[in-house]
Formats: sequence, structure tokens, C-alpha cells
Amino acid sequence: MADDLDESGGFPFPMPSEEAVAMRDGSIESHPVGVPESYEEGKSTRWSAKAIADVHAMSQLGRYQLRGFNTFSRSMPTFDDLVFVPATMTRLPLEGYRESCETETVLGDRPGLVSEPIRLAIPIYIASMSFGALSANAKAALGYGASKAGTMTCTGEGGMLEDEREASKLLVYQITPSRYMLDLEHLRKADGIEIVTGQGAKPGTGGVLLGMKVSERVAKMRSLPLGVDQRSTVRHPDFLGADDLQVKIEELREATGYRVPIFVKVGATRPRYDVAIAAKAGADVIVVDGAEGGTGASPEILLDHTGIPTISAVRAAREALDECGMSGEVKLVLAGGIRNGVDAAKALALGADAIMIGTAALIALGCNSPRYFDSYAALGTAPGRCHHCHTGMCPVGITTQDPELEKRVDVAAAAERVARFLTAMTMEITLLAKSCGKSKVSNLEVEDLRALSLEASAFTGVSLAGIDRPYSW
Amino acid sequence: MKDLTVTVGDRPIRQVNAEIRDAVAAGRDVTVTDTKSRHNLAIGMDARANIRFEGSVGYYCGGLNCGARIQVERNAGWAVGEAMSSGEITVGGYAGMSAGTSMLGGLLHIKGNAGPRCGVAMKGGDIIVEGRIGYLSGFMAHAGRIIALEGAGDACADSLWGGEVWLAGPAKSLGVDTRLTEPSAEQVQEVEALLAERGLADSSRDWRKIVSAQRLWHFQSRDAKAWLMI
Ligand SMILES: Cc1cc2nc3c(=O)[nH]c(=O)nc-3n(C[C@H](O)[C@H](O)[C@H](O)COP(=O)(O)O)c2cc1C
Ligand code: SF4
Repeated sequence: MADDLDESGGFPFPMPSEEAVAMRDGSIESHPVGVPESYEEGKSTRWSAKAIADVHAMSQLGRYQLRGFNTFSRSMPTFDDLVFVPATMTRLPLEGYRESCETETVLGDRPGLVSEPIRLAIPIYIASMSFGALSANAKAALGYGASKAGTMTCTGEGGMLEDEREASKLLVYQITPSRYMLDLEHLRKADGIEIVTGQGAKPGTGGVLLGMKVSERVAKMRSLPLGVDQRSTVRHPDFLGADDLQVKIEELREATGYRVPIFVKVGATRPRYDVAIAAKAGADVIVVDGAEGGTGASPEILLDHTGIPTISAVRAAREALDECGMSGEVKLVLAGGIRNGVDAAKALALGADAIMIGTAALIALGCNSPRYFDSYAALGTAPGRCHHCHTGMCPVGITTQDPELEKRVDVAAAAERVARFLTAMTMEITLLAKSCGKSKVSNLEVEDLRALSLEASAFTGVSLAGIDRPYSW
Repeated sequence: MKDLTVTVGDRPIRQVNAEIRDAVAAGRDVTVTDTKSRHNLAIGMDARANIRFEGSVGYYCGGLNCGARIQVERNAGWAVGEAMSSGEITVGGYAGMSAGTSMLGGLLHIKGNAGPRCGVAMKGGDIIVEGRIGYLSGFMAHAGRIIALEGAGDACADSLWGGEVWLAGPAKSLGVDTRLTEPSAEQVQEVEALLAERGLADSSRDWRKIVSAQRLWHFQSRDAKAWLMI
């Protein structure tokens, strides 16, 4: 045993100093052995920096956190997992520069019911985003932009803003559970009426508008005290189930003389059943908003942990309408995370009759644009990663009620961008449709798509690329 | 001009309402018979209308009213007078759930009891109930006044933003974020005057007025527990 204490440790030279072994020359005192990744990033799969920060936040606030934008969940399958298989030998493509592709989309045109169906020049329109969540300038710009592109906008929860009614040739008026400002006069000014039963970003809960945004004008329209943190009920005050909804829809038809289509909006949770029920209740148009749908403010946990993805919701919704023989009579609108014409074209192919965009339209207005860097910095963010709509301090004036910030939306320029974006989206759709040999965008079909992942195939029933069979159990 | 009588029976509601509307447009008062508690009668009528229902009506009677005077001889189903902006609706008997939901103005007078959720999301106008109002009445109302002469069920005036619930009888329980106040003599006089107009004068009533305690107006960490209840 005494041999173990031999000074030379078995070397033919003296033992090196501990310091030399530890490579201390120039290393960091607190990193005794190398610099593993975990020192920089933390490696706990359970306790990520975000999970730790969330506990700190909850332990101070005593409540969940709210924010805007949309889900940060990485587990959502996306439209990127699908590709088109254009026409070649078995099908004839259309001549891109010579042959046209019909884009007109009509909603509420089942025979003999509504006297003024909504005719859109393109298969895309702007989603309901309330005045309150958005500034008046942003609402007006969306209205003018959509009108120029031949399509429509929707009011949102906060009542009908005159600026928007003036700007939008076609306007859908939302009936939310809180019924802000809802009366006969405004109902009769609408070109369509939408009963909201849920939203993709926060199914099963009502709206939220933090006090910063409850300005004098917003408070007046919603008959709320100035500056309160507004929360809305989720259940409608005067109907509960499907049978009542049917009576409610009849009431709205009576109030508007069977003139305008009635929409029912659902957050995608059980679209197969919800869509069938809405169709049975008599809706002309059913709007399905997938879990990726945008919001002005929602509890973060609902954004990230509720609802089903848009690409799977649309298949279930279409199958439901097919099963009850309502396809064609009742129109299906899809929303939730649609970023461009490619996503929109895939959504049409998966079964949607029309596409609704919220966040993409805000980005066209100027959301996250590289200007006003200081204002982004004040929120602790930067262009390209801002998601701070709930704060009411939108750096570009879109989701704010601050009169100074709102001025940053140049209505004319923003409207032009929205019109161009909608047109460009439509061109993307027709480009893909023509390459697939379709003379109408509504002819896009599931057969035009292939899935690049087992997951996407399993979620949508789309055939896997190459093997041409859907994943099956 | 003589009253026009419209019979409901099993006829399509669209046709019944069209006949009522045509009669109103022609300047005639309307009596509606054989109502069979049908839904959606007299929706969105304007200030020229004077309509009397002989019998009971179903859901949404007088919904979206915009100035009409509507009388229901017996009972009304859910949400009578919902979203009324102006006008006057009288129910001779009981009213079902959600009477006067999200009303913005006008007067809804119920001679019997009103079901649960009377005046929820209300934004203006007055509701007078000679009997009791059911549970959760006034839930998340914004403005306006609910007056119940015989009291209220559970969770009365829950989560009020604004507006007032007046009780001349007991409430089974008050909702969250409510404050019970003693109305001033002036305020009492105003309410009594409104009641007197409806033939309900009685100076011996003992009034309590419920308003918002305003604790739920803002998210506050100290109130985290209260938020769990809403
Ligand atoms: C700022 C903002 C405000 C919104 N306000 C409403 C609203 O008032 N009512 C409603 O039903 N949906 C509202 N939504 C949801 C949209 O109508 C739509 O369902 C959603 O934005 C679609 O998803 P996308 O943003 O990914 O396109 C809002 C969305 C945003 C981004
Ligand atoms: S730029 Fe404005 S609209 Fe866009 S995410 Fe930030 S706060 Fe929201």
C-alpha cells in the first residue's frame, strides 16, 4: 500500500501539479472540467429556461400569463408537410399565362334562402379582429385593402366601427357572447352575420382585452368602464345547445329579412361534430379556426395546449359536411395559421371553400416590420419576433389604442399593401391550381396533394408521396 | 284603423312575422292569437308597432326590438326582448331564462317571476320584475337597471361591470364582486316614479341596491383567488 503514495505515481517523471491537470491556465474557475453545452444552455428537458421563468412569473402574478399572436407549440403538423403533385401525363396542366382560373367564391348561396349571398372575387378574406384589439386605422386599412382586392372583412367582438363599415364594401358582423353594441340598426348594416362559439387560439374561453386598450372610444362602444381589464363570457347569454342555436339563427334571419348569410365560427376541437351540428342548426357558412389561429390576447396555455391543428381540422369538417349531405349547400371557411397562397391552396385542396386570414393580414399592414426599433426594444423584442399585441403598445400602431402609436399606420399605404398581399396570395393559389390542371380554384382536391411525413398523412388522409397510399392503421 | 288579427297556429313563423310587419307598415295595431308558445315572434319591430299576443310565446319574442310596444298576455320563453334598443315589452305571466339579455335601452316589464340570468350582459334600459329574478341575474351586466320587487335567487348581480340591481325583497345570495348599498332618497324616488307609471306605486318598500364592487375590473395578484371563481 505504501507504494501508492510514491511521489512519481508510477511515472518515470514527477507527478504534474493538480492545476496543470485541470487545464486551469486560462479556463473559467467555475467550469472545472471542460465547458459542456449544459453550462451554456441548461440541459434539463423538464426545466428549460422558459419553464423556470414561467414558474417565477406565476409565483409573482398569481395567475396565468396572457399574450397575443399565436401558438408557440412545436408539435403542430404544418402545411409544409404536404406538397402538390401537378399535372403531367395523366392530367393536363393549364397554360399559366394564357388560360384563366376562376377565383370567385360565393358564400351563403344555397338555393332559395338568402337573397344576398356574399360574392368574393377571391377565395380569401380578412378574419374578425375587433376594434379594441386593433386600432381604428388598422381596421380602416384592412377594409380598404380588402375592398380593393374584391373581398371582405369582419368586425370582431367590439361592435361595428364606422371607419370599417365605410371602408369595407362587404362586412360580416360578429355576434359574440358579450354582445357589445349589438342592436337592430347595426345588424341591418351588415352583409353577413357571424355567431362566434369559439376561436382556435382559445377555444372554450371568451375574449380578453387588457385595460391599456380600453380607451374612451373602445369603452364607449363596449359600454365598459374606462380602462378595465375586459374579459368576456364564453357562453352565449341566450342559447346553449344546438336546438337553441337553430332558433337563434332563425331570429337573426327574421331580423334581417332573410337577406344576408349567417356564419357560425367554431374553434377546432371536435370539428366533425361541431360542424355537423352547426350545419343542422341552419348556418349558411361554417368557419373552422384551427389551433394555430391568431389572437389579440389569450391565456398562453390555451394558445399552446388547446385545440387541433388546422390541417387535420379541415379534413374532419369536410367529411362531416359530406356525411350529412350538406357540402355545396353549406360553405366551409378555414382559418388558423395560413401564411400565404401556398398554405391557402393546400387548405382549399383539403376541403375548404374559402380561407380567412388574420395574422398574415396584420403582417401585410406592417406588423413586425423593421421600423421603430426603439419601440420594439421598449417591449423587450425586435422586428421579426414581436408577439406583444396584448400590451397595447404595438410598435407599428396596429394593435394599440394609443393615438400617437396609431398614427404609425398610414391608412392608404397599409391598405395598398393589404390589397397587394391578397392579390399575390391569389396568384400563388391560381399558379398552383393551374399547374394541377384546374380552371377553378374550387376544383383543387385532396388528390392534388401528397404527404411528406407519416404524421401529415395520418392527420389528413392525404396519400404519402411516391407510395400513393395514405398511412393507415 | 281597426286592429288586425294574425293567427299563429302551425303556420311558418316567417309568414306570421311578415303579416305582422305588413300590418304595422299599414299603420294598424296587431293582435296575435293562437300563439302556441312559438319562437321568434315579432323580431326587430320598429316604433310604429303596437302588438298584443293573446297567449304565451316562445324564445326571443320581441328580440332586437327597436321601439315597438309589445304585450304578451301570458308567459314568455327564453330571452324575451333580447338586444332591445328601445320600446316597451310587457309580459303578463312568467318569463323564462335570460329575459332582457344584452338590452341596450327600453323597458321590459314582467308581471310574474323571471327565470335565471335575467338581464345578463345588459347595456342599458330598465327591467321591472314584479316577482323574483332567478339565479345569476344581471351577470356581467354593463349598464341599465334591473328592479325585482320580490327579490332574487343565488349569485345575484354576479360580476357586474356596471349598472344596478334593485331589490325590494331578499336575495338568496349575492354574486362575486358585488356591493350592497343603501340607495339615496332621490334614487328611490326615481325608481318609485318609474314603478308608479306602471301602476306599481307603493311607498312602503325596503330597497337595496346592488352595484359592482369593482374588484374584478382589473387583474390583481392579491385577487387571484377571486379570479378562480369567475
Ligand atoms: C389581433 C386579433 C384579434 C382578434 N379578434 C377576434 C375577435 O374579436 N373575434 C374572433 O372571433 N376572433 C378574433 N381573432 C381571431 C381571428 O378571427 C382568426 O380566427 C384568426 O386570426 C385566424 O388565424 P390566423 O391569425 O393564423 O390567420 C383575432 C385575431 C387577432 C390576430
Ligand atoms: S408588431 Fe404589433 S401587431 Fe405585430 S406582433 Fe408586435 S404588437 Fe402585435
